[in-house]
Amino acid sequence: MSAAPAQAQAKKPGVYLCGGCGIAQATPLDALEKVASKEYKVAHCRKHDFLCGEAGVKLIRDDIAAGTVNQPVIAACSSRVNADRFRFDGAQVIRANLREQVAWTQEPGSEDAAMAAADYLRMALTEARKSSPPVAYDIAPYSERVLVVGGGISGLTAAREAAEAGYQVLLVEREAKLGGQSLAWSKRMPHLPPYREPRANDIEALVKAVESHPAIEVRRECRVVKTSGGPGKFAVELSQGGAAREEAIGAIVVATGWRPYDPNKLGHLGYGATPDVVTGVALEGMLAKGPLVRPSDGRAAKLVAFVQCAGSRDPAHLPYCSSVCCGVSIKQALQIRQSDPDSSVYIVYDELRTPGTAEEFYRAAQEAGVVFVKGKVKGVGADLTVTYDDALLGQSVPMQGLDLVVLATGMVPNATELGDSGEAAPLPPADINPLSPIPVAGYAAEAPAAQAAAPAAAATQGASLLNLQYRQGPHLPILADGFADSHFICFPYETRRSGIYACGPLRRPMDMAESAEDATGAALKAIQAIRNVVEGRGLHPRSGDLSFPKIGLTTCTKCRRCTVECPFGAIDENEQGQPVVNPSRCRRCGTCMGACPVRTISFDNYSVEMLTSMIKAVEIPDEDAEKPRVLVLACQNDAVPALDMAGIARSRLNPYVRIVPVRCLGSVSLVCVSEALSSGYDGIVLMGCKSGDDYQCHFVKGSAMAQERLQKVGETLKSMALEKERVRPMEVSIADAARLPKLLDDYLAEIDKIGPSPLKGFG
Amino acid sequence: MAGEAAESQTVLVVGGGIAGITAAVEVIETGYDVVLVEKSPTLGGRVAQLNRYFPKLCHPTCGLEINYQRLRSNPRIRVLTMATVAAVSGSRGRFGVTIETRPRHVNANCTACGDCAKAATTRVPNAYNYGLDTVPAAHLPHAMAYPMRYVLAPEVIGTPEADAIRAACKYGAIDLEEKPRRFDLAVGAIVWAAGWKPYDAAKLQSYGHGRVPNVINNVEMERLAAFTGPTGGKILRPSDGKPAKRVALIQCAGSRDHNHLPYCSRICCLGSLKHAAYVREQYADGQVDIYYIDIRAHDKLEAFYRRVAADPQVRFVKSKPASITADDAGNPVLHGEDTVSREIYDRPYDLVVLATGMEPSLAGALPAKLAVDDYGFLVPELDPGSGMFAAGVAQGPLDVSMSVQSATAAALKAIQAIRGAGGHAAAGRA
Amino acid sequence: MSAAPAAASAASAGRRQYDLGFARWVYQHVEGGDKVAMCMQCGMCSGSCPIGTAMDHGPRKLFMMIRAGMKEAVLTSNTIWNCTQCYNCVVRCPRKVPVTAILQSLATVAVKEGYAPTQSTPKFSKAFWLSVARFGRTDERLVTALYYFSHGLKEGIRRALENLPIALRMIKAGRMHLGLPHRAKGAADLRAILAKAEDIERAERAGGKPS
Repeated sequence: MSAAPAQAQAKKPGVYLCGGCGIAQATPLDALEKVASKEYKVAHCRKHDFLCGEAGVKLIRDDIAAGTVNQPVIAACSSRVNADRFRFDGAQVIRANLREQVAWTQEPGSEDAAMAAADYLRMALTEARKSSPPVAYDIAPYSERVLVVGGGISGLTAAREAAEAGYQVLLVEREAKLGGQSLAWSKRMPHLPPYREPRANDIEALVKAVESHPAIEVRRECRVVKTSGGPGKFAVELSQGGAAREEAIGAIVVATGWRPYDPNKLGHLGYGATPDVVTGVALEGMLAKGPLVRPSDGRAAKLVAFVQCAGSRDPAHLPYCSSVCCGVSIKQALQIRQSDPDSSVYIVYDELRTPGTAEEFYRAAQEAGVVFVKGKVKGVGADLTVTYDDALLGQSVPMQGLDLVVLATGMVPNATELGDSGEAAPLPPADINPLSPIPVAGYAAEAPAAQAAAPAAAATQGASLLNLQYRQGPHLPILADGFADSHFICFPYETRRSGIYACGPLRRPMDMAESAEDATGAALKAIQAIRNVVEGRGLHPRSGDLSFPKIGLTTCTKCRRCTVECPFGAIDENEQGQPVVNPSRCRRCGTCMGACPVRTISFDNYSVEMLTSMIKAVEIPDEDAEKPRVLVLACQNDAVPALDMAGIARSRLNPYVRIVPVRCLGSVSLVCVSEALSSGYDGIVLMGCKSGDDYQCHFVKGSAMAQERLQKVGETLKSMALEKERVRPMEVSIADAARLPKLLDDYLAEIDKIGPSPLKGFG
Repeated sequence: MAGEAAESQTVLVVGGGIAGITAAVEVIETGYDVVLVEKSPTLGGRVAQLNRYFPKLCHPTCGLEINYQRLRSNPRIRVLTMATVAAVSGSRGRFGVTIETRPRHVNANCTACGDCAKAATTRVPNAYNYGLDTVPAAHLPHAMAYPMRYVLAPEVIGTPEADAIRAACKYGAIDLEEKPRRFDLAVGAIVWAAGWKPYDAAKLQSYGHGRVPNVINNVEMERLAAFTGPTGGKILRPSDGKPAKRVALIQCAGSRDHNHLPYCSRICCLGSLKHAAYVREQYADGQVDIYYIDIRAHDKLEAFYRRVAADPQVRFVKSKPASITADDAGNPVLHGEDTVSREIYDRPYDLVVLATGMEPSLAGALPAKLAVDDYGFLVPELDPGSGMFAAGVAQGPLDVSMSVQSATAAALKAIQAIRGAGGHAAAGRA
Repeated sequence: MSAAPAAASAASAGRRQYDLGFARWVYQHVEGGDKVAMCMQCGMCSGSCPIGTAMDHGPRKLFMMIRAGMKEAVLTSNTIWNCTQCYNCVVRCPRKVPVTAILQSLATVAVKEGYAPTQSTPKFSKAFWLSVARFGRTDERLVTALYYFSHGLKEGIRRALENLPIALRMIKAGRMHLGLPHRAKGAADLRAILAKAEDIERAERAGGKPS
C-alpha cells in the first residue's frame, strides 16, 4: 500500500463567505471575516452575495488556479446542496453551513445567530487545519476476476452476465453437474406474457452457454476451503478432487441456492406414512416421466390434492412464506390437467399468493378446472384423507378418495455448507428478530432488544460457505431465518462483507426468473466492487470516498477493539496481534476510530483529533452570559439531513446547540465526549439513527454501539462530578425534521434545570 | 469481447424514481456515463411520496438521501428534469433520442431561498400531496427535491404575479420566457424505468371515491401519515379533520379485477398492513379492519403480516366489499359479505382507504417500439440485443426492493450493450 | 337437458368423496356455468345483492358448493330463486362471472330435476311463463290467479279477496281490463320461436350425461 504523504503540499486555506439566501441578514459577514483573519490568521477571505452563481464559483476557481488557495472553506449552504458546483479538482473543499443551520433556523440579526455563525466558521476552519485531502489507497496488483460460488440458475446467470460484461469468471460447483435444483424441474413458471402456460425448462441451454463461454472457467465437485484478503485481492483456496489450489479473485458472487424443506419433519401431513404423499419437488420428477402414477401401486393418479404451505408460514417449521410454492403448485396442477383431462386437481391453500402478473397463471389454472379450496390443512392420513376446515364453505369435511397428495414444501437457503449427508451445518446467529412487535399507541415502546454484537467465530471452520478468514467469523452474515439478505429496502445488495454478494434463494425465497435477475444484479455489484478497487474508492454507502483508516502502530496497544467492532470485518490481526486494515473491505464509517482507546486510528480528513478540535473551537460563553452550549454530534446519514430539513422548513432551532456532523455515531470516540464536557459544554447529544430490530444504521450498529460506549461515560461523569443528563443519546429518523426543534428545546430545558456545567471556564 | 463497438458509451435512463435512480447510480459507479431523464420537476418518483416503507417502517427519504449523495458526488451523471423522451431512433450502441422539456421557469441560478414563493399569491394544488392541499405558484416540489430548485406553475405565466415573482428573486433565477425545448441525444443503451401511477379510484364506481366523504386511496393515506403531508402527519378525516380511529382498508381496489386491472399489484396488501401500523401507532383506541381476498405477504414479508396481525385491534375480514355509502354523520359505510362468517355487513367507519393498484406509466404512450404485455407493462426481455431494457415497475408490479434489484440487473445489461457485446439469448430475467 | 349427476355417493356420515362430476356438469350444461370455475370467492356478488340477507348461501358460496359437488344443497338452495336479476353482481364481478344467468339456469335445472322448491318463487315463475308463452305478454289477472291458486284453492280464494281492492282500483285507473287476455302481436310466432329454442336446447344437451 502506498499511502502518499498526506502533508506533501502546504495548506492554503481561503474563506469564502456567502451573503445570499438570508445569511447576510442573519449575521454580519464582517464579524465572520474577522474570525477568519484574526483568530485563524487566514488572510485570504472573500465575500460574495451569490457564491453558488457563476461569478461566485469563478471567484473560487480562479483562486485555486492561481495557486492562492487549495483549501476553500465555503461558508454558505449545507454540504448537501451544490456539491457539484463547489467541486474543484486539486482542492479540498470544506463547508460551513451558515444557511440551513443559522440563517434559516436562527433569529436573523440576533446575537445568538452571529455567535452560531462564528462558531460554525471556527469549526470549518479547524476542520481545514486538522485534515488533509484524502489520498486513495492502491493495492495493485489486484485481480479483476469474479468468483461465482454455486452452479444453479443464479450462479450460472451471474457467471454468464459478468463474462458478457467483459470479466473473467471462475465458477465453482460442489456437484458433478451444473444446473442445481433447476435440473429437476419438468417445466417452469411463465414469467413472460401471456403468463398462462408452463414454459419449457431451458436450464440445459444456460449450462451449455456457460460451459462454452471463453471467459468462464468451470470447476465441478469443487469447494471453497477458505477465503482471505478483500475486494480486488481475495485469496480463495479451492479444493477439488483432494487437491487444494489458491486463486486470486476480485469479487465474489455467492449463489448457493436452496434445498427443499425436509419433508420427514412433516409427519402430520402424512409424509412417510404412505408413498402416495409426495413433495412438490418429487412431483417434478414424476411429471417429467410422463403420465402421473401413484408411487405405491403404479395406478394412474386421477384425483390429486396439493397441500400449500407445507412447512412454510408455520412457526414450528419455516416462519416465512416460501413465495414460489403457490406458483409451482399451479404449474404442476396445470400440467396434470393438461396431460389427463379426466384428472381432478384440488389446491388447498390458506392465502393464495400469485403476485403481479402471476394472477393470470392462477386464472389459467381455474379455467383448466383446477379447484382451489381455502383452508389450513390439519392433517393427512395414511389413507390420503386430507383434514381441513373449509373456510369458504364453513364446514370441516375431510377430503377422501384421493390418489395422490402433494406437499408444497418450502425453500430453505443454503447458508452454510452441506455435509456429505446433505445436512447443513448450524447457522450463525440471526442479525434481527423479524417478529419484533410493531409500535402501538398506548403501550410503552418496547425497549429494543439489545442485539448481541457479532459473535466471534464460534461456528466450526469448514461449516461456512466461504470460510472467511475475518475477525468477525467465517460466515456470511445472516439477516434472519437463514437468509443472507440485506437489511435495507433501498439497497438489496448492501452487503456486510464488501465485494461479496449473495443472490438468488440464498438471499430470500425467489423463483427461477427472479433468481436470474437477482444474479445479474449481483454480478453488476461484483464488477462495480472491482472498479472501485481500481480507483481506490470506498463502496456504498460512502461511494467514492477516497479516505480510509490508518493505524499508528507505534501507539497501538493491541487491544483489538477495532478489529472486533468493525461491522464489516475490514481489520485483521497479524501474528503479532496488530491490526491490519484491508482498505478495499473498509466502508469508511470510522467505527474503528471511535473504538480506539488511544486515538491512533484516523483518516486523512477525519480523526478524533479533528473532531475534538472542532468541538473545542466553539466559544463557550461564561456562566453569567446565560447562554448554555449543547453539542450535537449528528450522524450524516439521517440526523444531518433531518436538521437541514428543519432549516428548509424555516423552523427555529435552539440557538444554543452546535452541530458537528459525524460519519456514524460508531465513529464517536469517548474522548470527544469527555473533551467536550471538560471544555464546558452543558450537554451533549449523540444524534443517530434507529437501533433495534428495524435498525437504520448503514454501518450496522452505530447507534447501538454509541449507547454501549456511553454506559462507560457514567464513570467519567461521576469523576467529573457531572450529572448523567449531560450526555444524551437521541435516535432520530430522516423524517424527524418537524420533531427535532422540540426535542432539542426539551433537552435544553432539562439542562436548564440542572444548571450550567461547573466546568465552564476550565476548558 | 466480440461484437461491434458502440458509438455512444452513454446510457440513457428514462424515469427518475427509485428504479431509474438506482440504474443510474449503479452504472455511473461502474464507470460509465448516464443521462437520467425525469418528467416531473424532481427525482424521487413515487417513493418520495411514501411516508414509510414496509416492513421496517423506515423512511424512503433515507435511501433517497444516500442515492442523491451518490449522484451529487459523481461527475458522470447528467440529470434532466421536466423532460420526456419523445422519440427513439437507431439501434444498440447508436440510439438517437429526442428529448422534450417543459419550462420550469426557474434556471440553475436558483438557490432555493424561497423569496419567489413569498411573492406568489396564487395557490395551486400540491402535486406532492396528490392535491390534498395547495402550494404557492412558485414552490419547491418538496423538502427532499433533487435538484433543490423551485418551479413555477404554468398558471401564473403571463400574469403580473409572474413579474412580481421574477422581481423578488435576487439571483436572476426566474426565466419567464423559457419555452418548451426539443433536442437530440446520442446514447448507446436505454433503461426504461418510467414506473407507475395509482389506478384512478374514481373508476371504482361503487366505492364512491371523490363522492362519498372520507373515502381516500392508499397513496393519499401515505400523505396523510407523513409529516410533510397536508395534516402534518396526523391521520385525520378529510371531511371534518376529526381523528380517524375506525379505519377500513380495502384490498384489491382495482387490482385482480377484470373490469379494472386484471393483475395483482403485489404491494397493496403490505401497504395496507403498513397503514394499519400507522393508525395503531397514533391511536391507542384505533380499530383497523383489513378487507381482503388473499393477504399476499410474500417471502420474508410474512413476518410483517404476523407483526401487524398480532395486534388485537387489527382485524382481517376476508371479503371484497361491494359498495360504500355515506351515513348521516358523514361516515363511510361499507357493505358486503364476510366470506368466512357469511355475514352480510353494513359497517360505518371514520375513514376508508382504498388500496388502489399500480398502472404502468407508459401504458398507451410508448415513445419507442417496445414489447409490452396486455396490461402495458414492458416485457423484461425487451428484444435481446436491442440495447433497451426495462427496470422497476415499468416491467410489472414490484415492491421497492425488487425494483432496485431489477434496476441493478438492468444496469449491467446496459453496460454490456454499450461495451458492444451482443445481446445474449436470454437477457435480464432469464 | 340431461339430468345432473346424482350427488356424490359418500356424502353421508360427514364425509365427502371429492369428485368433480356435478361441477363439470354445471360447467357444461348451465348457461355461463363454465365461469363458475373462475370464481375466486371474493364475495363481491353476495355483498352486492340487494336481497343478500334473504339468501341462504348467496352466489359466492353457492359456486363453492358446486365445486365441492354439493348438488343436493345447491339445487334446494333459495339463492337460485331469490335472484331479482338486478345485475349488480354481474357488473361488479372481478372475474366476469355471469351470476344471474347461472342462478336462473340452475333454477330451471332444479325444477326439471324435481327438487321441490320450498318457496313460492318457482310457482310464480311458472305462472309468469305460462302467460308469456301463451299470450306473448303478462296478464295480471292470469298470472296472479295462477300463482294464488297454485297454493291451493282455499289459499287462492283468500289471497284473491285480499287483493280485490287493488284490482278494482287498477280497473278504475285503466291499468287492468275485464275481457280476455290480450295477445301480443305475433304471439304465435313467439310460441314457434320458443318451441325451436327448446328443440335446440334438447339437441345441445343430449349426451351431456357426465360420469
